[in-house]
Amino acid sequence: MTALDARALASASTTPRGIRRRGRVRWGMWITLVIIALFTFAPIYWLLVTSITPDALVFRFPPTLWPSEITLDHYAEVLGNPAIFGYLRNSVIVSVITAILSVVVSMYMGYAFSKYRFAGRKSLMYFVLSSQMFPQALLLVTLYLVFAQFGLLNTYLALIISFTTFTLPLCVWMLKGFFDALPDDLIEAARIDGAGPWRIFHSVILPLAAPGLVAAGLFAFVRGWNDFIFALTLAGPDKQTLPPGLVNTFISEASTSWPALMAASLLVSVPVCVAFIMLQRFLVGGITAGAVKG
Amino acid sequence: MTLELSRRDMLRYSAIGAGALALFGLAGCAPAGSPAPPPTGSTPTDFAFGSWSLSEDAAKPTVQAAMDAFGSSKKVSVSGVTYPYNDYLNQLTLQVRGGQFSGAAQLDVAWLSALAALGKLSDLSSLAQGRGYTSAGLGAGQYDGTQYGLPWTIGAIGLVANQELFDKAGASLTPETIEEFEDGLRALKGIGVIPYAASTKAAQLKDIFVWMQTFGSPIIEDGKTTVGDEASVKAAEWYKKLYDDGLIAPDVDRAAARTLFAQGATALYDDAPVGKSAVLNQSPDSGLGDKMTSMARPVLKKGDTPQHVLWGHLVVVVDGEGAGTAAEFAQWLTSDEKQTVSYFEALGLPPTTDAALASDAVAANTYVSDFTTRVTATAKPSPLWVYPGYAQMETAVAEQVQAVLIGQSSASDAMKAAGSTISGLIR
Repeated sequence: MTALDARALASASTTPRGIRRRGRVRWGMWITLVIIALFTFAPIYWLLVTSITPDALVFRFPPTLWPSEITLDHYAEVLGNPAIFGYLRNSVIVSVITAILSVVVSMYMGYAFSKYRFAGRKSLMYFVLSSQMFPQALLLVTLYLVFAQFGLLNTYLALIISFTTFTLPLCVWMLKGFFDALPDDLIEAARIDGAGPWRIFHSVILPLAAPGLVAAGLFAFVRGWNDFIFALTLAGPDKQTLPPGLVNTFISEASTSWPALMAASLLVSVPVCVAFIMLQRFLVGGITAGAVKG
Repeated sequence: MTLELSRRDMLRYSAIGAGALALFGLAGCAPAGSPAPPPTGSTPTDFAFGSWSLSEDAAKPTVQAAMDAFGSSKKVSVSGVTYPYNDYLNQLTLQVRGGQFSGAAQLDVAWLSALAALGKLSDLSSLAQGRGYTSAGLGAGQYDGTQYGLPWTIGAIGLVANQELFDKAGASLTPETIEEFEDGLRALKGIGVIPYAASTKAAQLKDIFVWMQTFGSPIIEDGKTTVGDEASVKAAEWYKKLYDDGLIAPDVDRAAARTLFAQGATALYDDAPVGKSAVLNQSPDSGLGDKMTSMARPVLKKGDTPQHVLWGHLVVVVDGEGAGTAAEFAQWLTSDEKQTVSYFEALGLPPTTDAALASDAVAANTYVSDFTTRVTATAKPSPLWVYPGYAQMETAVAEQVQAVLIGQSSASDAMKAAGSTISGLIR
C-alpha cells in the first residue's frame, strides 16, 4: 500500500459514510460471532439440560429450552457407579501414555525430517502420512490379529500402540513444521560452541519447541481419549476406556438412558476442557507453526 | 548427520513387515472344520459366556445370577464377555474369527447365519432333543439344517397399540384387512396424534419386508429374490401413500417410535415384547402399561395369514476349550423350567419351552400372552436371514424405500434396483 492509498483510506474512514460503513461491518461481525457462538454452544447447552431433566420429561413434546423440573439424580447415578471410575482411570492411563509416547517419538522423527538431509527423506515423510489414508476398519482387523498373535489383546499396551500408530503421522508433520520455523543458525551457533547433535537437540532446540510439543501431546491425548472402536475391540472388559464404557453402561438393546449418558459425557469432558484451557496458548502457536513459509 | 537407511533398505523392511502382517492375518483367518457336537458329560471346565445383556442394567443381575448358579453347581468359573448390542455381532465375529473366544454366546436370531458361516459353532442337535422346546424356537436356531442355537427367548415383531387412543378415535383394534386398518389410521389422525409410528428411517426400514409379504411377495423364492415383483411394488406404493397422507411420520426408527408411543404422541408402532420396558421407562403416564396391547397385522384379503417376523435370542456354542460345559450351560439356561420361568418373571421375555409357556407366571402376564397368541403364533424368520449378507440386503431395500418416500424414485424403479442388489448379494 502506498502512502497515498493509506491517506485516502484514513480519510474515507473518518467521513460520515466511512463511519456508517465501519459500524455496519462491526455489527455484521457481532451478529456472525453470536450465530457461531450459538451454533457452538447449543449442543453443550442441550447436553446440560438433558442431564438435569427427569427421565419422564426428556422426550416431552414440544421440547422446551429450559426444563420445568430439575434433578441431579443422573449425576448421582454416574458418580455412584464405580465402573465409570474404572473407565476413567483406563482412559487417563492410555491417553497420557499415548500422548507422551507420541511426543517423544515424533519429536525425533520431526527433527530428523526437518534438519537432516538423507536419501528417501521426502518419500519416507509421505509414506508416514499415507498411513492416515487407510480405512480404520481395515487397520482394526489387522491390529486385532497381530495383537492376538502376540498376546497383547485386553492390555493397555494394545491401546497405546494402536493410538500411537494413528497419532504419530500428524504429530511428526506438526513438529516438523515447528522445527522448520527454527533458524538453522541456532544449530550452527551451538555447534561452533562445541555442542554435539544430542546436546543441540535437547538443550537448544527442545526448549524452543515446547509449544509444538504441547500441541502434539494434546492432539495425541484427545485422540486416545475419544476413541471408541479400537478401545471396544482391543481392550476387553477390564481395560475399557470411557467411550465404550459409557455406551456399555447406558445404551441397551431396547433403550438408551439419555440423561445419565449426557451427565456422564459432561463430567468426563471436564478434564479435557481444563487441559485445553490451560494449554490453549501453546496449542494455537503449535498447530500453526510452519504453516506459512517465507 | 548421515542416514543409515537407503530407499532399498526401506523397501526391504516394508516388504518384511507386510509379509509378517499377512502371515498373522492368515493364521487368524484359517478355515475351520465342519460342525461337531460339543463333548458334554466330561469333566466340567471353565468357559466364557458372551452376552450383550451383561452390559444392560436391567438384565445383568438376572444373567449374572444364572451364570453364578450354573458355575457353582458345576464348580467351574463362567466368565462374562460383553459388548453393547449394536456392536456385539461385529465384536463376537472378530473374536471367534481370531480364535479368541470359545464357550457359549447369546445371539439375536437374525445373526445366526452370519456366525454359523464362520464354521466354528457346535452342532447342538443332541442337546435340543427331549427338552420341550417349541418348534418355532427350534426352527429359529437352525441354519442349513443344523441346530446351531438353542432358543432362549422367542417372540415376534408386531403392532403395539395404545388402547385408550384407539378407543378415543373409535378405531378398530382388530382390523382384518389393510383397508380397515387404513380407516383406523385416518380416525386416529383425527384426534391429533401420529396414527402409526412406522419405521421411515433406514435403520429400521427392514420392517417394510413384512408389509411386502402381506401384499403377497415371498421376498425369496427358490433361492432368488422376488423384491421388484408386483406385490413388493404395491407395498412400497402403499407405504408412500401412508407417508403422503400423514398417517406415518418422517424420520422414525425404533427408538423414536418407542419415545413417541411413551409420550402418547402415537397410537401404534412395531416392536418386540422386549420394547415394553423401554417404553414404560420413558413415559410420564404411569398407567401406560395397562393401555398397551398387541394387534395382529392386517392382511390383504380376508382369510390370509397375518405376517410377522420372528424375534428372539438364541444361545450358541463356539468350539474350543470348555465347549462341552458351555453346551450344558446353554441347555440348562434355555430349558430348565425353574430357570426359564424366573428369567421370564425378571425380564418379561417369553420363554421357549412348552412347560415354561404353560406356567402360571406366563399365563398371568396378559400382554405377553396376548402377544404370543396374536403375533408370535404366525411369525416366521425373515427369508433373508439365511444369507450372511442379509444386513446389506436390508440396507439396500431400506435405501430404496426411503427414495420412494421422499419422491426421488418410483416404487417400481426402486424395488427393481433393490431386487437387483439383493440378487448380487445372493450369488
